[in-house]
Amino acid sequence: MDAQPDMPPIAVQGLRKSFGQQKVLNGISLSIAPHEIVTVLGRSGTGKSVLLKLLIGLEKPDAGSISIDGHEIGSLENIDQLNEVRKQVGFLFQQAALYDSLSIRQNVAFPLKRHSNLSAEEQKSRVEELLASVGMDRDQDKMPSEISGGMKKRVGLARALALDPEIVMFDEPTAGLDPITAAEIASLIIELREKRHITSLVVTHDIHTARAISDRLVVLNEGNILTEGTFEDLQKSKEPFVAQFLKDAR
Amino acid sequence: MALAGAATGVVLSMQTREALIQFGAKSMLPAVIIFSIIRETGPIITALIVSGRVGAGIGAELGSMKVTEQIDAMEASAINPYKFLAATRILACIVALPLLTVAADFCGVVMGWIANTLTEPVSLRFFLNRGLNGVTFNDLLPPTVKTCIFGFIIGLVSCFQGMNTRGGTEGVGRSATSSVLLSSLFVILADVVLVRLIIVFFERV
Repeated sequence: MDAQPDMPPIAVQGLRKSFGQQKVLNGISLSIAPHEIVTVLGRSGTGKSVLLKLLIGLEKPDAGSISIDGHEIGSLENIDQLNEVRKQVGFLFQQAALYDSLSIRQNVAFPLKRHSNLSAEEQKSRVEELLASVGMDRDQDKMPSEISGGMKKRVGLARALALDPEIVMFDEPTAGLDPITAAEIASLIIELREKRHITSLVVTHDIHTARAISDRLVVLNEGNILTEGTFEDLQKSKEPFVAQFLKDAR
Repeated sequence: MALAGAATGVVLSMQTREALIQFGAKSMLPAVIIFSIIRETGPIITALIVSGRVGAGIGAELGSMKVTEQIDAMEASAINPYKFLAATRILACIVALPLLTVAADFCGVVMGWIANTLTEPVSLRFFLNRGLNGVTFNDLLPPTVKTCIFGFIIGLVSCFQGMNTRGGTEGVGRSATSSVLLSSLFVILADVVLVRLIIVFFERV
């Protein structure tokens, strides 16, 4: 399983995906440079989350190629090779997807227990460090049902960072959060790039967060990329959909 | 489980007693109760109760994990959810079923004796001597071991239903119901085949 050294961390070419008669992605192409924060914007149900699931191998594309960290996902021979690639990628789910039978500490320790060679003591201090980095070190022994949505997102982020990934994907990181908590999550995403040099792909329909964190924005509509560029580039766009989308942010 | 086994013993004792008296075979009552329980009633009652309790639990738990993306999260963390969630539960069902069956058999036999002795007092030693006279290893072991296959069916069907849940909380309810329904159905169908196989391979000449 050799990686192609010159490939960007995330590269997608001609990606298509349909569910039955419904075309979700209609041949999109996207490339993300190292340490870049790219946000995919679009209305709910336009295939943003499907794009992320395709990238991590949770869904299979109908056509097109996906390269993660130089590895062509479609050409991987078995699940073990795919899992090796997955270890390089952190994934924050929309509802955080914490394991509800495990405590906060156990949730963050879960990937470490299975994939790292750290001793129990080292794992414990790594979990504490991760939870401290997202401001959740005081609630380690609580269960997911005992914490708020914003706290769950923070723990989900700590778990996504457990294996020290080079790429992190965020599925609606601020959905359902109040503006203050959303801003805190946005700050954490920026911090990841500053402190850990992480490449981030964020999908959201929250234009304020997108504006705050993104180096580049990609607007997705009806399975196609309408336009992409910085927030200022998008503001100049003549596309009525883009103008409508950005109206709120002015 | 113990209660179900015990109730079976009591019912068997009450139901068969009168019939055996009519045929002048009252002395066969302990043997009828013990044979019925260890060869068929104990294993199948245990399997059906486990289908209802554990099958619904597995279907609902895994279904809930599926719709809240916890299973996706596990895959995204490079952990095989089929090994971690399904294989462990199936193995637990395979191991637990024979043990629960032995417990249900024990309670059924003891309660069968109690029900019998309330009508016509006999000592437990006498009851067991009469009942176990003629019981061989082949009467106990194959029917108990066949419950491993029941456990495998319950675990497999429930895990499959749970991990293929679609449609939010409504889907979780459907998975729990279908886990119970399908695992009970497959257990009964498997029992038909297994009883035939046990007769072919273990029946006394």
